[in-house]
Amino acid sequence: MPITRILLWLSVLPCLLAAQPKTYTNSIGMEFVLAPAGSFVMGKFAPACAEAGTRDFVTESHYQECVKLAREAALPGFKAEVPRPFYVGKFEVTQQQYRQVMGKNPSYHTEDKVGEPSSDYPVDSISWQDAQAFIRRMNALEKTNAYRLPTEVEWEYAAGAGTDARPQTGAQTREVAWYRLNSGYVTHPVGQKTPNAWGLYDMLGNVWEWVQDWYDYQVVPSGPSGPVSGKVHVLKGGGFQCYQRMARVPAHAGGPGTTVSLGFRVVREAR
Amino acid sequence: MRTRISPWMPLLCCLCQLSAEIGEIPEGYTPIFNGKDLSGWHISRSNHHGTTLDARVEKGVLIIGQNPIGEGGILLTDKRYKDFELYLEVMPDWGCDGGVFLRSSEDGNAYQLAIDYVPDGLMGALIMEGLPKDGPGGAGAGRSDAWKELWKKDDWNSFRVRMTGLAPHIIIWLNDVEIVDFTDDRNRAIGGAEDGMIALQRHFTSASSWRGVPGGVHRFRNIAIKELN
Repeated sequence: MPITRILLWLSVLPCLLAAQPKTYTNSIGMEFVLAPAGSFVMGKFAPACAEAGTRDFVTESHYQECVKLAREAALPGFKAEVPRPFYVGKFEVTQQQYRQVMGKNPSYHTEDKVGEPSSDYPVDSISWQDAQAFIRRMNALEKTNAYRLPTEVEWEYAAGAGTDARPQTGAQTREVAWYRLNSGYVTHPVGQKTPNAWGLYDMLGNVWEWVQDWYDYQVVPSGPSGPVSGKVHVLKGGGFQCYQRMARVPAHAGGPGTTVSLGFRVVREAR
Repeated sequence: MRTRISPWMPLLCCLCQLSAEIGEIPEGYTPIFNGKDLSGWHISRSNHHGTTLDARVEKGVLIIGQNPIGEGGILLTDKRYKDFELYLEVMPDWGCDGGVFLRSSEDGNAYQLAIDYVPDGLMGALIMEGLPKDGPGGAGAGRSDAWKELWKKDDWNSFRVRMTGLAPHIIIWLNDVEIVDFTDDRNRAIGGAEDGMIALQRHFTSASSWRGVPGGVHRFRNIAIKELN
């Protein structure tokens, strides 16, 4: 390689590195964390059966029948790739941010309901179309097209901090999520629970989060890209009123959902 | 006094028998299940019991079961109701937990009539499903053996539920006998909702939660409502 080309590479290298800092704060103060490229396994499904004697009428034949059906229904999952790094919102979009961009706040959980100023609470009562409208305006404000909703793959990848889904105990859920057992059945200011390994808050619980994909009416995602069309979109993470079965990384839900528990977070493409 | 037997009596008896077999919606109620398909109903895709419920209609009967194994769910009316009387007939398989949700959210937060057909289950109880449990009304109207005397085994049983008021007053009749009279101290609905959907539930199962025999279902028919507001 000619020396001039090497020098050219060396001269632009700091710029390339500087273009992808680990965190990013945008023009309205929204914070983002850089998610690296990578891959993980999603779409696993493995029903589990209660053993004979769990209840006095549960027989060995019940158990064996359940095991047989569980084996037939089990899905091995698939490798989901995230080919490029991307910035993921550190928090769910707040009421203050939504008002700043859209000039209104549709939330149910305002001061009269939660007993304190609700600026830092996640915006709620958001439809998928509302989330898209916010993103369009955010892109227009910064004259970019870098903002969008995460795909379901990106959402699970970020929520699991790049790892495959693991069993989740009740104690772990209480630590990271506002859900049915600790929320008091209302939302809470973003960023109060323990973040995940990448420093992302409230990926589980508080408000459901819309993602870009159409919903496929399957128990787990049927593939790394959602269907090309549909009637409702995918919801992830569960809300303040949900049981733990929904406040899990792999839980695969769809709209319309319960209005007062619907919110979103945005991602920003890393350039 | 001479008793005259009508020549029509055999036919009348036959019709009575037929009526007993298919059940009957009480006068003044409007059917909300047409006996043919699931028009007017939809499966919740965000309920923790499951998002892929097996809901189907066979010979005039609405059947709900798990799909796949372990994954139950709820079947919701498209319409929301506030004050109402609900009538339905049910035949669950022994060993299966289900219920009827009252003023339910899309995610299945609701006052629930438990149709928990297992030993020591909560059959006929009024419980809080994903609603706050604090305060005087938080425990609902729980476990009672009242249903055992009234339940017709391997047969259809009717429930009638009257729900009125923002802090709801709920009365439940099993086979025309009152078994629950409950008044809450406040409205517990998510987001303060003043109305909600009716939902038919089949519980999920897991290694630690045995709530149904494999392949077990809940059957419903003659589902009808009388709106009171």
